[in-house]
Amino acid sequence: MSTAALNKVQMPFKDYKSEVPVVWCPGCGHHGILNGLYRALADAGVDPTCLVNVSGIGCSSRTPYFVKSYKMHTLHGRAGAVATGVQLARPDLAVVVTGGDGDGFSIGGGHMPHMARKNVNLTYILYDNGIYGLTKGQYSPTSRPELKAYTTPYGGPDEPMNPCLYMLTYGATFVAQAFAGKPKICADLIKQALEHKGFSYVNIFSQCPSFNKIDTIEFYRDLVEEIPAGHDVTDIGAAMALARRPNGKAPMGLLYKEEGKPTLDEKMAGLVQKLGGHPDYDMKKVINLFRP
Amino acid sequence: MTKNDLIIRVGGEGGEGVISSGDFIAAACARAGLEVYTFKTFPAEIKGGYAMYQVRTSPDHIYNQGDTFDVFCAFNGEAYEMNKHLLRPGTAFVYDYPGGDFEPDAIPAGVHAYPIPMTAAAKELKSARSKNMVALGALSVLFNISEETLSEVLSKKFGKKGQEVLDANLAAFAKGKSLAQGIKKTDTWRVADPKPPKDVIVISGNDAVGMGSLIGKLDFFSAYPITPATEIAKYVATHIPKFGGTLVQAEDEIASISQVLGASYAGKRSMTATSGPGLALMSEMLGMSAMSEVPVMVVDVQRGGPSTGLPTKHEQSDLFLAIHGGHGDAPRIVLSVENVKDCVDMAVDALNLAEQYQCPVLLMSDGSLAFSTQTIPAPDPSSYKIVHRKRWDGQGEYKRYVMTDDLISPMADPGTPGGMHVATGLEHGETGAPKYTAENHELQARKRFGKIKTVVDQYAPVEVDGSGAADIGIITWGSTIGVVREAVMRLREEGIKVKGFYPKLMWPMPVAQYEAFAATCKKILVPEVNFQGQLSHFIRAETSIKPIPYAICGGLPFTPAQIVQKVKEVI
Repeated sequence: MSTAALNKVQMPFKDYKSEVPVVWCPGCGHHGILNGLYRALADAGVDPTCLVNVSGIGCSSRTPYFVKSYKMHTLHGRAGAVATGVQLARPDLAVVVTGGDGDGFSIGGGHMPHMARKNVNLTYILYDNGIYGLTKGQYSPTSRPELKAYTTPYGGPDEPMNPCLYMLTYGATFVAQAFAGKPKICADLIKQALEHKGFSYVNIFSQCPSFNKIDTIEFYRDLVEEIPAGHDVTDIGAAMALARRPNGKAPMGLLYKEEGKPTLDEKMAGLVQKLGGHPDYDMKKVINLFRP
Repeated sequence: MTKNDLIIRVGGEGGEGVISSGDFIAAACARAGLEVYTFKTFPAEIKGGYAMYQVRTSPDHIYNQGDTFDVFCAFNGEAYEMNKHLLRPGTAFVYDYPGGDFEPDAIPAGVHAYPIPMTAAAKELKSARSKNMVALGALSVLFNISEETLSEVLSKKFGKKGQEVLDANLAAFAKGKSLAQGIKKTDTWRVADPKPPKDVIVISGNDAVGMGSLIGKLDFFSAYPITPATEIAKYVATHIPKFGGTLVQAEDEIASISQVLGASYAGKRSMTATSGPGLALMSEMLGMSAMSEVPVMVVDVQRGGPSTGLPTKHEQSDLFLAIHGGHGDAPRIVLSVENVKDCVDMAVDALNLAEQYQCPVLLMSDGSLAFSTQTIPAPDPSSYKIVHRKRWDGQGEYKRYVMTDDLISPMADPGTPGGMHVATGLEHGETGAPKYTAENHELQARKRFGKIKTVVDQYAPVEVDGSGAADIGIITWGSTIGVVREAVMRLREEGIKVKGFYPKLMWPMPVAQYEAFAATCKKILVPEVNFQGQLSHFIRAETSIKPIPYAICGGLPFTPAQIVQKVKEVI
């Protein structure tokens, strides 16, 4: 999502907090991501009045209530599709989706490829904790098979998916990964995502101390590894190779960034411009096409 | 009743020009100042299969597709087999012979048979694809289709494709005419003579919905392909960019309605169009629209169900889904069109009502209207009223769901200073913050249901056909209304006391008007094209009326003759 065209404001990051108290469990990684989001919004100078924060259902999908913004708390899995509608209707707004791994990649998995390949100009922040927390701990598309959860008492039969690899494959023009235990890195990557023109995806590992007893803060701290300084973020092959975790480590940082690709709303606006479209176009011209 | 109309049916294999020859006949008649009402069926397959196009034309107003044909033109043996049982004394039968793929059985007594070697003539002209033009030429001579307007229509159509194409088609057309001129006409069927042209357009139900939505100042349309609704998206896709609006094709129907809800939240007049299977997928988001009070307009062009059902066939079986589809207590407004003119007018109404009442509005059409082309008065865009949503005036503290006298709360577009709020699917209080108390849930449910009550008074909901007391009253909906109108006229000519009741607002139900109507009728008959008698069900549930259901589901609309016969049976 690009914020270049928006009114810039200068606000301390604390002013992006809404009056609604945060309801997540103590020790939940989401607190760190939310703080990163506040800082990123402040650093990018996003005007809360022109910000629409859209979410689906899940613990992380409560984020919009905590962020000073226009906001939509929609249906399970549908945040991306709803946000696409907001963005296409009003390309002048900043649109941010916040949601979880089950919301985004299980029930909402059908929308992910299309937001990415169409290059919808919005930012998708995925709080990846490998669990359905709000329904008290069922295994999710990013759970490891070892996880003994509510509906998988003997461990899960499924292999976890690799969100960044999928998003790269789907054609996302900005893919980054972070860890909730590193709020400054979260803030920096979210800010870059906000400033990217096109579809930006940030996958953030986030420990769930209540229901995912194996993907702990320590586990994630050990899992992630900062992307080496020499990585070429314009090289999709290199990004995919990293995303595949060749040494068992999940890359942390900016994996891929493609600049200059037209966004969906730009293409739509281009069509209108090409046809000389305007609201006062004479409807009678369209009606007359049907005269016998 | 004096019969001023003529019904010509053309049947053949999909892809051999059945549809285009029907379109030409319809356009030529309309151009000659006559009314037309066309009806077509075609296979669910891409190529092959039986396709049928029927044109009813008359100098008078036409309400429906008619009982059956007066003239039948068979392009192939399959079409003949499908229709031979309908050949009856008096009908004219034009068919591809010799040289076609069939030889008819013995022609029934009284049927006027006109063999025309369509395939052979087209082959002779080395233009095998112009078989339908040979047929058209023959039909024009045999049944008085205005040659002048037909030539104009053909030139308009083929002229765009270059002189060579035009010449080849005109040659086949001329050949068909000369073949027919060599035949002795024994029947009396003829298209009425041309009249002074009227200010009309000829348009299909689907195109008309698209036209209405643009007259209704649509800003945003999210589409997903589905038969028989896709032409609405095609129309809008073609024209909305000219007005600066947007149409996108989404990845599924769930995404379509989600995008519509998002765009509407962002302040734009937004809609989608689908058929039953798509509407089923959308039902969860319709609930979100009801709960979050974000306007959403959905067109449902009904087809045969359940499941994949009869995708290209006519049915009126989505009333349960439209009115009650979805979980929880989710109010919505449901409108239903009778004809192509309604498709234009009520698309505007549906957008207006969604904006006014901040709720889901469903506009129901059906498979036969979708592809039926009809002559309608050319719409005057400036004559339509455009209603905008109630917006916050910026004064005081903004509460999205504030209680008001009419229970409709002002909205604030994103970007409005001081208007920040949440649109939420959770139960909420005045600010939008989650609030789950029993007291609040009941209060909010009353708000959501209460605010749409006035639509019954504000939106002219029904038309009563006839006055005084009647032995039988017919209540029906959708395109069946047009069939019943003609049946009522025929029954009255026979001296039967009959009235009609034609609701176009299906939900909320204008109960008082149903009751008032029923009070004047000894019996109530409810014809509709679905197995369960869905409108009958709602009438029994919501009123004290005990209707006699007349439910059919054969993939075809009713004919006036069916209604007339049924009335005589039950009266």
